[in-house]
Amino acid sequence: MTLPRIQVKNFSFSFPDENSPLWTNLNFSLNPGEIVGITGPSGCGKSTLCYCLSGIIPRHLPGEISGEILVDGKPLSQVPLPQLSQKIGMVFQDPETQLFCTTVEEEIAFGPENLCLSREEIETRIKEVLELTGMTHFRYTNPSQLSGGEKQLIALGAVLALGPHTLILDEAMSQLDTAGRKRVQKIIRPLKKAGKSLIIVDHQIENLISSDRVLHLENGQASWR
Amino acid sequence: MPLIANNLFFRFNNNQDFLLENINLELHRGECMALLGENGSGKTTLSKLLIGILKPEKGEISIDGEKIRDLPLAKIGERIGYLFQNPNRQLFCSSVEEEVGFALQFRKSERGESEKIVSELLGFFQLDHLRAKFPFTLSQGERQRLALAAIMALDPPFFILDEPTTGLDPRRKEELFFYLQKLLKDNRGILLISHDHDFACNLANQIGELKNGKLETGVIKC
Repeated sequence: MTLPRIQVKNFSFSFPDENSPLWTNLNFSLNPGEIVGITGPSGCGKSTLCYCLSGIIPRHLPGEISGEILVDGKPLSQVPLPQLSQKIGMVFQDPETQLFCTTVEEEIAFGPENLCLSREEIETRIKEVLELTGMTHFRYTNPSQLSGGEKQLIALGAVLALGPHTLILDEAMSQLDTAGRKRVQKIIRPLKKAGKSLIIVDHQIENLISSDRVLHLENGQASWR
Repeated sequence: MPLIANNLFFRFNNNQDFLLENINLELHRGECMALLGENGSGKTTLSKLLIGILKPEKGEISIDGEKIRDLPLAKIGERIGYLFQNPNRQLFCSSVEEEVGFALQFRKSERGESEKIVSELLGFFQLDHLRAKFPFTLSQGERQRLALAAIMALDPPFFILDEPTTGLDPRRKEELFFYLQKLLKDNRGILLISHDHDFACNLANQIGELKNGKLETGVIKC
């Protein structure tokens, strides 16, 4: 039997100084090649769940947790960060929070360089993701000069360059035009085919079209749609 | 008096081609123009020119007959409420309540009146329960609503809204739609930048599309 990429078991989370948990007893698995959409009103904890699944909570943001999250069968808290970054990649809701280099090329190369990959491999990955995202002509541009949608595509490219087996997209298409959204859908399909797993948070149902199932969060409860 | 842009030319760098060329637009009170275009076509840049954050290389922008370049930013802010594409760019106070009331401090209004406006806006944008929170602890959708509430506080005659529906769930998007419709009925002018085609086309009565640096305007056909 194939091991799920992510298993969420009886998971609850509260922010410090909050009396009630954001959600309680969350249970679900994400299998290889599966796409799970997440919806819910703003403030219901969609991004917080993404932070938990990517290990940002509790490593970098505090909060009270009960239950557990397993990645490839191992408790997430026990997976060292460099390993985790190759397993789970997250595209943030606000791309500006993850872009910090002076050129698009450096931005894409940053992750692979930190994995100590060879120059040739880094070059291959840069070319591949720029082509996938349609951003080749911006290779030497400063990301700060790009539009909101273009920044989102670069943030996606930077995460894809790490080659994680699970991708979390937190409203990663919110500033994209129709062509950009179609491009992302086109990127998603072969990823799924290649056995990658995805979690896609979005308010627009049409952006969740490739999802196998959709988890709806509201008032601290989760339901499948 | 309308918000008018006349023969605007703009580029970020003198060595580059113009990003925007010969842009002309006229936005009247009570009207909404949907500004559409592909990613990178210059929609946000044009909106920043209109509120004086960026300066055109050639051409002129005026509001109520006064040239934007002769007005201090604070005065422009009284006439045009600007919603940034990224709400994090415009939130800086230590609480949600302070953020909504910030601009009102500089207007000669009675304290009670300011408090009433803030309470009404917090109520409408469903931020009441978050009143004492630090804005950066809110979710992205909540920050978007907060940024909208903050620009509504001064009740300017014109609004430029850069992707106002980003991060909003369907119910709140619908509520925003009705709120903007009410603003139009109250004779406010709105320039709306959005990739949400249905939202933009249902609200706007005219359309402006940026393509290859040029702006084509027309009556809405959706």
